[in-house]
Amino acid sequence: MCGIAGRILNAPGKVGDDLVELMVAQEHRGSDSTGFAVYGIPRETGYVLRGMGFDKSRMDGDMDDFQNILKAHGSDFLEDPTFVTNEADHYCTRMIISDPHDIEQWINVADEISDRFEVQSCGRSLEIIKDVGSSNDVADKHGVREMIGTHGLGHARLATESSVLPNASHPFWARPFPDVAIVHNGQITDYYTWRDKLERLGYRFLTYNDSELIAVWVSDQMKNGLTMEQALKKSITSIDGVFTYMIAQPDSIGFAKDRFAMKPLVTVEKNGELAAATEEQAVCRVVPDGSDVINYDGPGITEIWGVGNRRAAA
Amino acid sequence: MSEIVIDVGERHIREINEEIQAACAAGHKIIVRNTLSRHNLGIGLPAGADLHFEGSVGYYCGGLNNGATINIERNAGWGAGEAQAAGHITIGGYAGMSVGAAMLGGTIHVKGDTGPRCGVAMKGGNIIVEGKIGYQSGFMSHAGKIIALGGAGASCADALWEGEVWVAGEIESLGVDVNLLEPTAEDVAEVEAILEPLGLNDSSREWRKMISGQRLWYFESRDANAWLMI
Repeated sequence: MCGIAGRILNAPGKVGDDLVELMVAQEHRGSDSTGFAVYGIPRETGYVLRGMGFDKSRMDGDMDDFQNILKAHGSDFLEDPTFVTNEADHYCTRMIISDPHDIEQWINVADEISDRFEVQSCGRSLEIIKDVGSSNDVADKHGVREMIGTHGLGHARLATESSVLPNASHPFWARPFPDVAIVHNGQITDYYTWRDKLERLGYRFLTYNDSELIAVWVSDQMKNGLTMEQALKKSITSIDGVFTYMIAQPDSIGFAKDRFAMKPLVTVEKNGELAAATEEQAVCRVVPDGSDVINYDGPGITEIWGVGNRRAAA
Repeated sequence: MSEIVIDVGERHIREINEEIQAACAAGHKIIVRNTLSRHNLGIGLPAGADLHFEGSVGYYCGGLNNGATINIERNAGWGAGEAQAAGHITIGGYAGMSVGAAMLGGTIHVKGDTGPRCGVAMKGGNIIVEGKIGYQSGFMSHAGKIIALGGAGASCADALWEGEVWVAGEIESLGVDVNLLEPTAEDVAEVEAILEPLGLNDSSREWRKMISGQRLWYFESRDANAWLMI
């Protein structure tokens, strides 16, 4: 059992605050870890990175090594990275970098130090914040309520398939595709075989979390020419397990549900702004006046909600 | 019967349920408001209790009901009336997944549609749905009747045991091991008698009655392929 959420605003606003509210209301579904994917105002050039190092006493060395790898790929910090730490061993960082020559080549090399420091999101607008702890704990530690953006995802984790680790929290970035993130409620039963197939194609996974697979799987299908809608539909018969997952991109959030209809999804829309969550009581937190909820309870459903002009995308 | 209003808000559910139980014991009619679609409201209510929930409720509302009359104004989340022994639950809007799961008796009346697996593993009582029942409704139902007036989703009556699923309207597809019957006039009269107190009886309906094909009762592993849906 996990809780997931999505939010789309008509214009850049306090999407971080809404996502925290959506997750606070679903904390009982899993509070070992919480995470957020926030799509801020997109940069013209350069990328926002969010990353995590596993031993804060080695932070300076990690950063020197990371910067050297950036420079070798024609990139560098555009501002000084900022750091968040507490009594835990790990540290979290936010960086702004100039464009590497080739994102895929750069991240492949950067991942060689991922046993010490891992990049958890990369995008013109996407920022993934994740950590162990409840939604309020994670939100307070990382200032999520203050984050401004157009849309985003949230996740409360009850670990069932792998360890509780800060980097095994959702959302997951679709490494190496910039600005793509997923959250997932459920279990993927054949993730090991799918991971193996994708690793043979050169993709890299940094955790043993089954959900990390989905983002990469969908993105790989799209790289091979499928539309997002086609990829979502194909996932229902290709990926085995129970799931409701949401995948976010700069222009949309899509979802897919397994063919046994095991995991719920509820949405409410008001003035074109959309809130989606596992439970109705969560969407009531951000749209409290009892607007009509839609229950996506059936089997094998997909849909894509556009950001901006929402009606046109579906 | 005097009326008492209980406000839910963000208070602890146990505190609210204790207030509801106390009000039942005192013989009040209870209005529950500001529910914020929260879970586990009104569990294990006694016979004779009378509750009205304003707006929508979350999961398992009216679960383990022992004979109360419960009215939910709008939608209910998962498992409304789960394991109800007796009583009458009315859901004004949509009932989420597994409404009436494992119920033993009494009536659940849904005015809208239901989510998947309506009446899963029910062991008695009746579920009446004015709209459409969702995917795999009646799954492994052991006894009792599910009566849908507005059609049924895919895999209807899947792996039914001794329960019955009655549908007026379109059935998207049947589940495994279903025996689809043309009901006798006697059967129909029995269903109409269940609908009559709700004001829903209508002799012009074309009913389909589903019972178990009974092949799954004697499952043999060598036949497993016949049951694999994937």
